[in-house]
Amino acid sequence: MPAWFTPERMTWLFRVNPALKFAVFLLLLFITLFNRNLPLAAWLAVLSAILLYGFSGYSAKKLALLSIPIALSFASSFITMALFGKGDTVLWQWGIFKISEESIRHGLLLGTKSLSFGFTGFAFLLTVEPVLFFYAMMQQFRLPSKYAYSFIASIRLLPVIAEEIQVRSNALKVRGITFSRGVRGVGERIRSYTVPLFAQSIRRAQRIAIAMEAKQYQMGAARTYFYSTSYSRHDAIFLAVMAVSVAAVFWLSFGVPY
Amino acid sequence: MKKLTFTDLLITIMVGVVFGILMKFWDDLYTAIKPVLPVARQLLYGMWFMNGVFAFLLIRKPGVALIASIAGAGLSAFIGHGLGVLIYGAAQGLAAELLFAAFRYRKFSIPFAGLAGVASCAASFGLDLIYGYADLETWALIVKYGLRAVSAFIFTGVFAVLVIRALEATGVTNSIRPVAKEEYSLLDR
Amino acid sequence: MKPLDTAAGSCTDEALSLRKLRLKFPGEDSLLFKDLSFSVKKGEKVLLLGPSGCGKSTLLQVASGIVPRSFELPMKSEAIDLPSSWGFVFQDPDTQFCMPYVDEELAFVLENLAVPQEEMPERIEAVLRRVGLQLTDVHTPILELSQGMKQRLALASVLLMEPDVLFLDEPSALLDPEGTEQIWSSIRDAAADKTVVIVEHKIEQITGWIDRVVLFTDHGEILADGPPDTVFREHRPELIRYGIWYPGVWEDYVRSEGFLQLMRDRPGTGDSRIVELESFTGWRGKRAVIHAEKADVAEGSWIAVLGENGSGKSSLLLSMIQLLKTTGTLTVDGRTVIQKKRRRTLPDGLSLVFQNPELQFVANSLFEELTVSMHTLNPEEAEKRAYGLLKRFSLPEDGKRHPYQLSVGQKRRLSVATALTGNTQVLLLDEPTFGQDARNTFVMLETLETLRRNGLTIVMVTHDLEIADHFATHQWHIADGRLMSCEKTGGAAHARLVHS
Repeated sequence: MPAWFTPERMTWLFRVNPALKFAVFLLLLFITLFNRNLPLAAWLAVLSAILLYGFSGYSAKKLALLSIPIALSFASSFITMALFGKGDTVLWQWGIFKISEESIRHGLLLGTKSLSFGFTGFAFLLTVEPVLFFYAMMQQFRLPSKYAYSFIASIRLLPVIAEEIQVRSNALKVRGITFSRGVRGVGERIRSYTVPLFAQSIRRAQRIAIAMEAKQYQMGAARTYFYSTSYSRHDAIFLAVMAVSVAAVFWLSFGVPY
Repeated sequence: MKKLTFTDLLITIMVGVVFGILMKFWDDLYTAIKPVLPVARQLLYGMWFMNGVFAFLLIRKPGVALIASIAGAGLSAFIGHGLGVLIYGAAQGLAAELLFAAFRYRKFSIPFAGLAGVASCAASFGLDLIYGYADLETWALIVKYGLRAVSAFIFTGVFAVLVIRALEATGVTNSIRPVAKEEYSLLDR
Repeated sequence: MKPLDTAAGSCTDEALSLRKLRLKFPGEDSLLFKDLSFSVKKGEKVLLLGPSGCGKSTLLQVASGIVPRSFELPMKSEAIDLPSSWGFVFQDPDTQFCMPYVDEELAFVLENLAVPQEEMPERIEAVLRRVGLQLTDVHTPILELSQGMKQRLALASVLLMEPDVLFLDEPSALLDPEGTEQIWSSIRDAAADKTVVIVEHKIEQITGWIDRVVLFTDHGEILADGPPDTVFREHRPELIRYGIWYPGVWEDYVRSEGFLQLMRDRPGTGDSRIVELESFTGWRGKRAVIHAEKADVAEGSWIAVLGENGSGKSSLLLSMIQLLKTTGTLTVDGRTVIQKKRRRTLPDGLSLVFQNPELQFVANSLFEELTVSMHTLNPEEAEKRAYGLLKRFSLPEDGKRHPYQLSVGQKRRLSVATALTGNTQVLLLDEPTFGQDARNTFVMLETLETLRRNGLTIVMVTHDLEIADHFATHQWHIADGRLMSCEKTGGAAHARLVHS
């Protein structure tokens, strides 16, 4: 799986300081979150698509595969809103379903917002190395080291946890365990997976924390950094490009009459 | 109230991360039934609120609900839900945190855990309002968020508390909770 | 002796000392230590021995200050003088690292020590050489290392702190024989001039190296304290009782009355073939992970599946019980197993025990754990059977305890017992004795032998050649994902060689 997540080429987006990239992309997400204007939402989606498809360095095939869930979420938000959304100019009605001009417009707004959320998210995630991201957060944004290392230590164990879920599922089959139907069954299923998984993970987390402190890790103590991250000319370029792009998006949405 | 030790913090974040993975599996299920059964889908939504409440019930210290919730959302953002989840995770965690704080971090039973889940649900409703997910016909709005609140209560109140009790029975929680003062006096027997 | 009131005993020749330590676990009535005094001289190599649960590991954590600094336990003492410079290697290779890569993990320690970044690469290279961990690239994922290499990495990260005192908490307990030898040889080289305090059950590699042995009782009291030769000579019964893997433990065991009686008139295998494999392949995705051209298992045999790490031993078990996708022919007791892509129920007659017992438990008490998969029986019969299993597997007989609250050895036995509640004819086991002390290992093996006598067939993955030689009726060798040979133990006469 990690091999799959190696890009075909390293683009300039990789060289941007990860913490800065995170801040800028988060800002983009907040604009998307609060926005209620359909043209703006659409142009933001275009911008994030350009970022992802043009500059993530991944092949179109992989990106297409990653885009499937995003497309699904576009479809599902659009359909739900179109069928159940508020609106007076009714175009079609059948039982509880009612499609109106407003609800379609609203559905499109939600759909394009999902697209921006998805594309921006992947444009960030595919071009960032988690460990470096946390090093940059510590060095550029003063994130306390205790959070950074706890995250890194937890992420490191993902494959182990995924394997445990697999073993647990196999073990339940071997033991011939079946679940009830309905809400009760949901509860049984949750319990039978979470109890052993959390028991292992809690114990493991505790042992790792003890081992880290035994290696003289101290919360809040001064430390040096193996990977030193800083701002470079790539960051200036990135900021300039993003500022121009966002300005362009706003101009296209509000400055151009439709 | 005792402060978080480094061990507490690492466990909190690990719990968040494990929830992040579980939510990924959950999401696959959720996506599968999403278009088909709108009611069932809202009833399963409560899983998204479990994380922070569960972590607090486990560690029982301030800050835990918020941190675990952000950690879980951060992880699920990383493995494919996109950064938007992070905003929701932070808001939901904060809501649960505030509810536990209102009871001075001393209530761990089903009604309070369930209420914390409903608070998270309210926070997600707030974000949905801003986002535009909530611009539904009034009846649809009530059904959707009503079911979601019920689900929040079931998952965070009933399921989270039951899982915590099951974990307490395993003995794993003994070593991570603060030691009672009386334990020290037993040394002198 | 050290005066009572010294806080930092720099003028003494003691590396650490504790006086009248009292300690207990929260929620338990009895004290783990009651007025225990213990000290170690500078440069001394001390081995702490005792039964599981006697508190040796906890003592190491107190002596290093981990308890109560990182981990609170109710404790008090009259005087406590701990080393200021120390390092700790823990038992589990998978729970002592926080970073994904080898170089990053070592750098983490250097960062903690505020070593300038420019000096880091050189010191990382140097310490890896010091523990004999040769990597072509220091930026290697830790998950790709063998368990033995991980432990040497743990040692390396500790050595970066240049500790005066080294605490080793069963560093080789979870390693195979090769890894065990490597970690101890690295420790002997790197720690020659240091004070070393060791807790370990597998002591073959260190008996010649240590200066002093401290033997504990079940109640956390010191039973003996002296040079290794004296303690080993005078306390052999305790070594056996506590399950220590002392040199020659197998020789003593196979001469013991218990073993001889068990093996007297040992019945051979039956005539019928209970499992037959032909052109059998197990797949993980599109990769063939195990292939057996032709092999069969006679009823009542005990097969030891041997081979290197990652050669496909566990995959063979998973394939046989259809948890991996398989092709070819598999027959169990004359019934051909239908190989489906996705299946809800597994083939009749087979059962599998995984390595981690906790991942197999589903109930809140021992008793419930055993009855839960006996739904085919009526309740009275199930109850009777469950109590019988508790007795046979030397588990607490009231059956009320929570499975997670058992000792490590008991958990392993319970996981085997849960596999027998149905109509199991063939029991597949993945290293059921791995990481266990000698006593628990022998109890497990004896229980399995009794089951075999009653008609059960056993297929067991193991690294331990002694087990293969003394208990197995057949040995299967696996290399590079292929079953290379199946032969009868103790003679090549019946060897049915399978070659590709």
